[in-house]
Amino acid sequence: MDFSAFLDGFGVVTQPGNLLYCLIGVVVGMLIGVLPGLGPAATMAILLPVVYSAHDPVAAIIMLAGIYYGAQYGGTITSVLLRIPGEASSVVTVFDGFALAKQGKAGTALGIAAIGSFIGATISIIGLTLLGPLVAEFALDFGPPEYAALALLGVLLVATIGNGNTVKALAAAAIGLLLATVGSDSFTSADRFTFGSLNLEDGIDFVVVAMGLFGVGEILYNLEERHGKPHVPAAIANIWPSRKDLKEAGPAIGRGSFIGFVLGVLPGGGAVMASLAAYAAEKRVAKDPSRFGRGAIEGVAGPESANNAAATSSFIPLLTIGIPANASMAMLYAALLVVGVTPGPQLIDERPDLFWGVVNSMYIGNLILLLLSIPLVGIFVRILRVRPAILAPITALITILGVYTIRNSVFDIFLMIFFGVVGYLMKKFGFEPGPMVLAFVLGSLIESSFRRSMLIFEGDASGFVTRPISGTILAFVVLVIAFPLIKRALRRKTPDTDTTPETVQREDSLR
Amino acid sequence: MRKQTLSLAAVAAGAALALSACGGVQTTAGGGSDSGDYPTGSVNMPVGASAGGSSDLISRQVSRGLSEELGGSFPVINREGANGALAAAEVAKAEPDGSTISVQNASLFAITPLAVPEDQVTSIDDFDVVQGVSRDDYVLVASKGSGFDSIESFQDADGKVTYGTTGVGTGAQLACALTFNVNDTPAEAIPFDGGAPALTALLGDQVDTACLQVGEAIENIRSGKILPIVVFGPERVEFLPDVPTAQESGLDVEVAQYRFMTVPKGTPQDVKDSIAEAMQATFETSEYQDFNEQNNLTPMEISGDEVVTQLEEDKQRYADLVEEYGIDLGDAS
Repeated sequence: MDFSAFLDGFGVVTQPGNLLYCLIGVVVGMLIGVLPGLGPAATMAILLPVVYSAHDPVAAIIMLAGIYYGAQYGGTITSVLLRIPGEASSVVTVFDGFALAKQGKAGTALGIAAIGSFIGATISIIGLTLLGPLVAEFALDFGPPEYAALALLGVLLVATIGNGNTVKALAAAAIGLLLATVGSDSFTSADRFTFGSLNLEDGIDFVVVAMGLFGVGEILYNLEERHGKPHVPAAIANIWPSRKDLKEAGPAIGRGSFIGFVLGVLPGGGAVMASLAAYAAEKRVAKDPSRFGRGAIEGVAGPESANNAAATSSFIPLLTIGIPANASMAMLYAALLVVGVTPGPQLIDERPDLFWGVVNSMYIGNLILLLLSIPLVGIFVRILRVRPAILAPITALITILGVYTIRNSVFDIFLMIFFGVVGYLMKKFGFEPGPMVLAFVLGSLIESSFRRSMLIFEGDASGFVTRPISGTILAFVVLVIAFPLIKRALRRKTPDTDTTPETVQREDSLR
Repeated sequence: MRKQTLSLAAVAAGAALALSACGGVQTTAGGGSDSGDYPTGSVNMPVGASAGGSSDLISRQVSRGLSEELGGSFPVINREGANGALAAAEVAKAEPDGSTISVQNASLFAITPLAVPEDQVTSIDDFDVVQGVSRDDYVLVASKGSGFDSIESFQDADGKVTYGTTGVGTGAQLACALTFNVNDTPAEAIPFDGGAPALTALLGDQVDTACLQVGEAIENIRSGKILPIVVFGPERVEFLPDVPTAQESGLDVEVAQYRFMTVPKGTPQDVKDSIAEAMQATFETSEYQDFNEQNNLTPMEISGDEVVTQLEEDKQRYADLVEEYGIDLGDAS
């Protein structure tokens, strides 16, 4: 690493003009992050012309990057307060985040999320600074067989999410996998469950499913409840995370940051897998796993640190090998082209000012975001004091607008309402929407990676086991399945009947 | 307290509305048709691809040019889905008064029909083509680990050669499928969801070769991480002067992606003329020319009628070739 170029990068960022653009970027990003649907990619497309007219194109690039990671902070707010995750990677935050909000600890959840996001992102930028090109090579070793194995592991982890009933979680996950098959088959272009509608040709968008199952489902469920008991506004006991919260969340933030950095480098599915893996890891490590899904602070801290770390490390493939890992990175790619730079292996040597300017702006941008988030937490939590009669229509409006802005389709709005009804029924019968949504996201990854692998292997499935990385992941999958079974078998040998309290607890958690 | 929360809610809702308005929710006042002062309101430009792809970027560049030349605003609306068929269907049934115009891809009309069922085929007859825009060439590239560096080297292949494509029914798939069939090399198509994942797989040596758009591959070709074998345009690509065309390498394969401006059938002639003139003026600006160069696009600024002729010709030629070699684009499994 060229150290003087790195320091010069800070010189670039700290020019007042660039700082201003960085500030504008992260604020805009945070705002659009709050509104689900209108994602960072679409916002960057709208603001792309700024790159032409900015006094300094580097400043414009810094702004666009700021929109991307700023949106990651904003997304948490709606997940925790309104139960509407705007992105696949923040679905996991909903479980414990929303549970905490209901207990009047929304401030704690948002505060920890902001701190975790800041630490996760910063660790990831340090990783990017020191190890960028090295990690990029690692990402290239991930071929279709590795993705198939990783996604399979993901679906198994999905079952551990939520608050208990594994069978119901697996059932919901199975339906999610089926939903992922809707649309034109990407290998043969044969139609599957499209009912002859061009609107279903590309499958169902994640946001449509998530907004419906979580957001609209929750609104419908509350409508029913409202007549039962008078609405008691959630008392907001403490805005700030206490020292105890911080102590509990600390290790989770560390683990989440690491997992996020490593998995975030993988283009396609990296961020989702990161937040999932971080959540599963926390649950495994915890002394009392039953707290999860009912307001465990680590359940917010881990995944939030992970998805911000992942968002940051997804810059690595773009900046070091010229591959955009997601739609937002593709917009940044386009913006770099406008500046006259084609992102690729030579970027760091040809334009060190740009490379280090953008990378170092992220240190400062994340600091700005943390400073902005803390006071905003106090304002945002007041949303919970709004009566449901007012809040519910606003939430509905946000979800409808959000879904419409994805591809300007009215069809998607009705599809979301349909999923809202499904979400309501699921909640009524004790099913968690989380496993369904996450399995839906992983489903197409599993299917296409598996089929691609089989084509590469010319039909010989043993390749999955003999390739080192996919073999290791599959061994891990077997371990995850076998571990509880072995544990149970061992326990049965001992006369101790400690299974009874566990079953009681399980039933408890269903209520 | 209630008052405060109410106003807070109002602010939140207001912000949400304002932001979504930026997202392209625009009301259209309609374009003028009897007078020469087109446009009279804002003109929607649906594009059948998501933000960030080359179709989207070209649309946005043309939109910039049009609003500078003609005044008024030309918002680009991403309406992705079904290879662009959704956006096309929307344009086809829009009011033919110039209030909806769209830059569309040749592959939707010439190549996609080879891969999808009859009732999903989009026909160029539903549109008036106003003006050609630019061409985006495909290149066949090989990974370093594969050992391939030319068409001849495929003879030494042991087993099937794997080739990554950017999806089913794309020009990249057709170009690669034709190459290996014409050259009589046993090969297997591995479809990916777009150019970036296909390139990633090639860089990681997961597949031997891939057909990509020149812009997607060029930086890694320059740094020597992947090897270009042939390009599929009618002539060599300006940005890769040393790479032969498929024709030069002895293969009768020519596949190109090009884009052109379309309006709904029956749009008045004076509106079409205004658009074409404004586009030609845009093509003259250095900003637009720089854009083409940065994105490795070759100008194809021919008239609308020439575009239609070329489309019909390509469609027939592809259909004949696919039939001759027994290629089924919709059967990569």
